[in-house]
Amino acid sequence: MTWSDEELVAKSIRGDADSFNELVLRWERPIYALAYRTIGREEDARDVCQETFLRAFRALPGFRGQAKFSSWLYRIALNLCRDWIRRERRAPVVQPPEDVDLIELAASTEPAESIEDLVARKDLGRLVEKAMTLLPEEQRTAIVLKEYHGLTFQEIAELVGCPLSTVKTRLYQGLIVLRRELAKNSKATL
Amino acid sequence: MTEFSCGYGDDRDAAIVAFLYDEPDANPAERSSFEAHLRTCARCQADIASLRQVRAHLGRWSPPEPSFAIHNSQSTIQNPQPAIRNPEWSWRAIPVWAQVAAALLFLGVSAGLANIDIQYRGLTIRTGWSPRAAAVADTQPTSARSAVPAGTAPWRADIAALEQQLKSAIRAAQATQNTSMRTTSASASDADVVRRVRALVDESEKRQQRELALRLAELARDVTAQRQADMVKIDRTLGLVQNNVGIEVMKTREKMNQMDLIYRASQKQ
Repeated sequence: MTWSDEELVAKSIRGDADSFNELVLRWERPIYALAYRTIGREEDARDVCQETFLRAFRALPGFRGQAKFSSWLYRIALNLCRDWIRRERRAPVVQPPEDVDLIELAASTEPAESIEDLVARKDLGRLVEKAMTLLPEEQRTAIVLKEYHGLTFQEIAELVGCPLSTVKTRLYQGLIVLRRELAKNSKATL
Repeated sequence: MTEFSCGYGDDRDAAIVAFLYDEPDANPAERSSFEAHLRTCARCQADIASLRQVRAHLGRWSPPEPSFAIHNSQSTIQNPQPAIRNPEWSWRAIPVWAQVAAALLFLGVSAGLANIDIQYRGLTIRTGWSPRAAAVADTQPTSARSAVPAGTAPWRADIAALEQQLKSAIRAAQATQNTSMRTTSASASDADVVRRVRALVDESEKRQQRELALRLAELARDVTAQRQADMVKIDRTLGLVQNNVGIEVMKTREKMNQMDLIYRASQKQ
């Protein structure tokens, strides 16, 4: 039987550690992905992810279910990312390797994708990653939450604490910057 | 690039974003209004098309695989372990040899406290707070005690026989148990250890390969940079040499010209 997040939260609050572990297994990848796309460093993203669950575990008795568990978790993770960015006092730096990761390339056994396609996809992914680092934090967060986590405008607005129209404006402006940067980088690469 | 004008209004950006993401609970009136505008506005059409392409490109960016997620997924399939453990003290965290040592120590201390006297040769086990003198008397070999005449204490012979029976039964049980335990625990622990070692070796290999690839990439970069720097240096040095040679040649030519002039003048004279 598959329990909902809210049911697992209720069981965790009653002291069932396995339920919380189930929540961790369910949400660790999305939270890690959010942290990585926000701060751009693998190690730190992993730390943020673990710290997110640790804080959630500690704060679980105080969770009253006003928001969805996932929104609550996202908020904790975003706050930690924000702290990280402030602490580092710099824009998030994504450190893509200069060359294609040959080992990963060789290890990939995706039959539908040729090596050329894989390289092209990786190159494009790196261009996107690089372009994302140029966005201001607010725009980047809005795009990450919308594009990769499928949150609604309203959910993003509640999560980051701004009006709904501001979310749309941030998204638009962010996408325009990305369009410009991707066009620039694509030309430079070709 | 031709720039078209758009007269949609101040909320154009929001309308484009709403149209682009097409949320199910979006305002239908706003959407149909923008759709009507879109049919006639080339600028908005171009924007929508290009931003759709940006969104398609965004889908190509995936973060690197987190190592903790791999561990968790493996452990969940094979041996479910809690991702966050209860902050309780756990025996699992302590190695087996330490657990055995602790158990022996505990037994020894308990035996000392309870005044238990255990002697293997005579299989004398005595418990309770018995006086020392009685203990000394009881430590005599059982063979001596069993040799007591049956007439003086008839129950002693029964006890001795029972003792012998118990001894042989215990020995047989121990032998069987030891054999079975050795085989089962050895096979179970061996499989576990092999699995763990294999996982560790795999992980280590992957790490080393990654490190090697990174080092190779760094090395290649360094070599390229060094080669470029050397080439620039060689170019500069060659340029300097050429300049010097050119200057020397010019000087020599000038001298030769002067000498030629002097020679011609002397010839005329």
